[in-house]
Amino acid sequence: MSDRSIDFHTHPLLVREMIARHPELADAARKTFFIGNTFQPLETFHLELDAAGLDKAVIVAVDATTVRGATLYTNEQIAELCAMSDRLIGFASVDPHQSGAAAKLETAVRQLGLRGLKLDPAMQQFRPSDPSAHPVYEKAEELGIPVLFHAGMSWAPGSRLEFGHPLLFEQVAIDFPKLNIVLAHLAWPWVTEAVALALKYPNVHLDTSALYFDNPRDFLRHAMTHVVPPSVFECSLRGQILFGSNYPRVEIKNMAAAVRALGFSTDFQQLIFGGNATRLLGGLA
Amino acid sequence: MIVKLERIEVQSRRDMEMIDITSEIERVVKESGLRNGVVLAMTAHTSAGLLVTEGIECLERDVLAHLERLAPKEPPADAYHYWHNRYLDYDGRLGFNAGDHLKSILGGVNCFFPVENGVVVRGSRQRAYFVEYDGPLARTVLIQVLGEGA
Repeated sequence: MSDRSIDFHTHPLLVREMIARHPELADAARKTFFIGNTFQPLETFHLELDAAGLDKAVIVAVDATTVRGATLYTNEQIAELCAMSDRLIGFASVDPHQSGAAAKLETAVRQLGLRGLKLDPAMQQFRPSDPSAHPVYEKAEELGIPVLFHAGMSWAPGSRLEFGHPLLFEQVAIDFPKLNIVLAHLAWPWVTEAVALALKYPNVHLDTSALYFDNPRDFLRHAMTHVVPPSVFECSLRGQILFGSNYPRVEIKNMAAAVRALGFSTDFQQLIFGGNATRLLGGLA
Repeated sequence: MIVKLERIEVQSRRDMEMIDITSEIERVVKESGLRNGVVLAMTAHTSAGLLVTEGIECLERDVLAHLERLAPKEPPADAYHYWHNRYLDYDGRLGFNAGDHLKSILGGVNCFFPVENGVVVRGSRQRAYFVEYDGPLARTVLIQVLGEGA
């Protein structure tokens, strides 16, 4: 049986049913994440996946309580939405500035059934290698879950780009060799540095959710064929690239089409769109 | 005098799609009690449209294909580019769907029909379509009746 195809990076910020249940999520979408699209029924999310030819999506929380006084979904809300759709895979978030962050992560995984951890050092404003975050990494490693880090450029208001530089994740990769790390957005504009990190550390992965100019097709062609030769991805990083869209900053259909247009081999595309994500999720997508 | 505005939601299911909304327009007219006047319909979006054409599947495909040729989602490489491909600081995302906005302009965003004796008057082949150029999305269509009651 083939692997499920997965979008490894989405934010469920526009889901109308959740806004109705939790009105504060409207502010989280508009002010904290900063997205102006109209709120949509959950059905639109499913149809987006259909239009992209994908089965499932990872939906992430971001806990920016200390710095922003806000969460982009709590872990409980992520679990609540996952209970409404068997096509969604929930990732928790914790605030590394808080002393109980590791325990909160354990609760999210063991009790709420969430499958990974999302951290956004740029928005949450912490240095990825700071020892204060180590208990969270230790817990994630113990739980056997992947960590999806925002890396590179961020549009979110108040976010600090310096905390998204890929080399700041090197010490984490060294200190936690069994922890599967995914750097989002190809860490643009530091794509070369992110690729170097992934080449050196097999526990470092990259997701494709990068779009900062032009359109998805032209941007990914620039990043994944001009900045770094496509053979590097195809031959050396075939087990470390995951499809991610960053929906709703970009529609899933557009990012999926852009990745497919890169001309990678069929078997590598199967890894990008499902195989690698399934492995990181423990084989049960 | 009857003036009534109704908002309906249309859920598109594909990237580009034509959805026949004729029966919805007729329903709004019937429920309004309008006897003689006009019914107007408009999409509230700029990457979707409303148009009137013959209601057959082959023509639906031709309409979408022709608009895509006129205003492609992605312009031919090295031929031209869209100015809209930039970060929209009011929207928190890039605007790379200029082709869909252009289709909306080319195909139009509204239509109207006369209403006579409570019946929407249209040609025997004519159907009113909501046209999705950048779906799937839940979209809003405004339908307004204007005229005399019974």
